[in-house]
Amino acid sequence: MKLKRLALVTLVLSISVAAYSQRDPDYDKVVVPQTRIDARDLGYAPVDVIPDGESGITSLTVAPNGYLYGATSGSHAHLFVLIPLHGYVQPLGVIPGATSVRHAVVVSASGDVYIGTSPDGHLLKYTPHDEFDQSIQIGKPLPVMDLGQPVAGENIFALTIDRKANAIYGLTSPNAHFFEYSIASGKFTDFGVVAKNIPEGEKFEHDKIMSRTLIVDREGNVFSSGENGSFFRFDPKAQKLEKLSIQAPAVPGREPWTRVDAFLPDPSGAIYGGTSDGYLFRLDPENLTVTNLGKPLNQYRIDGLVRASDGKLYGVGGDKEEMARLFSYDPSTGAYHVMGFIDVDRRPYYVWQAYGVGAMAIGNRGTIYIGENERISKLYLFYPGQ
Amino acid sequence: MAKKQAKGWKEDFRRVVQAVQCLLMLAFLAFIPNANAASKIVTVEYRFFPGLARMGGNWAALKAASDGKVYVGLACNGCSGHLVFYDSKKNQMVDVGDLNTLTGENGLNLGPQSKIHAKFGEGKDGRIYFATHAEQWFDYARFATQEGYPGSHYMAYDPKTGQVQDFGIGPRFEGMNTGAYDPKFDRIYGLTHPRGHFVYYDVPTHAKVDKGRINNWDSICRTLGIDGDGNVYGSFGHGQIFKYDPRTDDITELSARLPIRQKGISLGRDYNKAETAWRVVVWDQQTKKFYGVEESASTLFSFDPAAPPDNQVKRLGQMAIPEFASRRNVPYATLSLTLGHDRKLYYAAAGTEFDYSSSAGAAASHLITYDLNTGKIEDLGEMHLPDGRPVLGTNAADTGPDGTIYFVGATSVKATPGEQNYGGKIGSVPYRLALFIYHPKAD
Repeated sequence: MKLKRLALVTLVLSISVAAYSQRDPDYDKVVVPQTRIDARDLGYAPVDVIPDGESGITSLTVAPNGYLYGATSGSHAHLFVLIPLHGYVQPLGVIPGATSVRHAVVVSASGDVYIGTSPDGHLLKYTPHDEFDQSIQIGKPLPVMDLGQPVAGENIFALTIDRKANAIYGLTSPNAHFFEYSIASGKFTDFGVVAKNIPEGEKFEHDKIMSRTLIVDREGNVFSSGENGSFFRFDPKAQKLEKLSIQAPAVPGREPWTRVDAFLPDPSGAIYGGTSDGYLFRLDPENLTVTNLGKPLNQYRIDGLVRASDGKLYGVGGDKEEMARLFSYDPSTGAYHVMGFIDVDRRPYYVWQAYGVGAMAIGNRGTIYIGENERISKLYLFYPGQ
Repeated sequence: MAKKQAKGWKEDFRRVVQAVQCLLMLAFLAFIPNANAASKIVTVEYRFFPGLARMGGNWAALKAASDGKVYVGLACNGCSGHLVFYDSKKNQMVDVGDLNTLTGENGLNLGPQSKIHAKFGEGKDGRIYFATHAEQWFDYARFATQEGYPGSHYMAYDPKTGQVQDFGIGPRFEGMNTGAYDPKFDRIYGLTHPRGHFVYYDVPTHAKVDKGRINNWDSICRTLGIDGDGNVYGSFGHGQIFKYDPRTDDITELSARLPIRQKGISLGRDYNKAETAWRVVVWDQQTKKFYGVEESASTLFSFDPAAPPDNQVKRLGQMAIPEFASRRNVPYATLSLTLGHDRKLYYAAAGTEFDYSSSAGAAASHLITYDLNTGKIEDLGEMHLPDGRPVLGTNAADTGPDGTIYFVGATSVKATPGEQNYGGKIGSVPYRLALFIYHPKAD
């Protein structure tokens, strides 16, 4: 009887089509090559990890010593570090007064970590000390020094740092103030706003439109985008914020809702960036020209952008209701390569896909870090080719 | 002349081939039940869905309502699914309509509303609540695109008026992979696909809420359980359980763990299906426990939400066909579990990996019971129709107000040349969807 059944099953298997399943093996064709990507839990799973609902990664930055620092958003915000030597994520503590830290972690030349919080709107300083020797204690407060609030009533929307000048620059929300924090003097200066009005739109739109990140060029000038997609430049020598006559790329008519999502400095002195409509552009900070490099994806948003040692730019696109994809751009040829969904499949140990990405950074040894921003989030490590 | 002769030979050859094919098919169909003298047979009645022969699947979407109507969601691959009901009092099958039309999306060339892929629920107002789903995902290449699937609709069918109310799209671009309706709080709950978010629609306030990610490819929960107080439970991660409390609107993750099989047993299936979730659970108001079957080895368990954290989940046995019980290749658990009025759990176990056209082969399902009073598991035998055809698999079960047990699944049919009078093929066997009816008292 069993032989008969075996024969039957063998016969049927031989004529069956590939089985549909919850996850078809064909799916591996549309995700990032599995030999070039891995993922990390945010802590020591399953217990000592940043809890679900508090793990959306919304800030990543690499310190001068190569350590990766990141911050999460959710019902609480956490700071974590990844020391490349060890390779795992170590939660450092709950950031006081914060449920959100959006592109607002920077590290000074001395190694101090500065965190811009929301909704409190305070700038905090964390001084790293023997992190590897500390045990993980989920829920303990992060020891920080509160440096104050840059603009009263405003939360911090984005931060960048000029390590040479020892100056931190930021944008605030909801009123789009541009501020400077002098590390030497400990003083904040408010230089005005990059957006005065909420653009015309539907009833559910309540935000003044500004860039999600900032960048410092080789001369120490700071760039952001603001109202109507216009670029703004802060000249630290003149201590002046000015609106430029150039705009982030947009389909004509969509400028009022256009933001720069990501900025990236290039060794050539140029600045690359990505917009909320998903365009990649190159900004010449000397001649103040913008070149639209097109769209790598049929999706909105450029959630992050880094430059790898192979000379290519790597980015992630996709809005919160889409599915994030990784792409590369080769400046020497102008060619895009769409690499697929950000997914790690290491069955039977773990399998996870990032549908939404909140931040990217690149390590000193070329590993690209991709921070997932969802209720349950992981940190992804992508290894670009040489 | 030579041409005519050649044509005649071709015709003869074609007839011979057809005859051989017919003989092989008949032999094959007769062989499927795997009947031998020792095999037990349990006979079930059946009703086909008239005019809907091409519907290819049904998953979870079965509800035996209090008025005797039995609601079924029929799935269509690449086209619109249908909402139907069987009026058990009139012995009549009624097609309420195709889902594209009911959602107002007919003719828009959007990804179709191909399925109801989750459980229906019956409201205090007598309406039947549900949400729609997509069938084809194309490796998500069309996700969030103009031609892609627009998203699941929350809906209600009113048996008094025969009208369907569309509450609109809930999760944009996503389907409702899993769902449940709670009459206490008057809400439709769901888990979306592909992003695995926990969402709900609050009928009184019309609020559509997304509570964020709960599932990923590591674990896909196919049944949400709702207790007598309106708390919602689901599985996630490595055999973990979450709880949603509508009073606080919060999700908490419990420390209880499901009795899933150790990972690392490579069946091929393991790559595609995570085997870390509960497949199906039913709530028992009498013991105030859930009873469920997990997906890796069809292990039956109880889950008592009120028990101390380390004592909430208990392994009760295995609901697989006994000959598979100690083997690696236990067929993937089905969604066909229901609690009968006789305090027995009824479970239709697959005879081989079953997923309609994607099944590994054709084999008869077995009806297996677990007696809540005695703890005894019994294999009632292969499920056959009165004409001897086997039930080739099911993926939904429910109990009617009179104690009748209903399943929806597939049975073999004879293909009619020149027309597709079947929903698909399991291996080489044409099948058609049917409602299967079992009367426990008849045994």
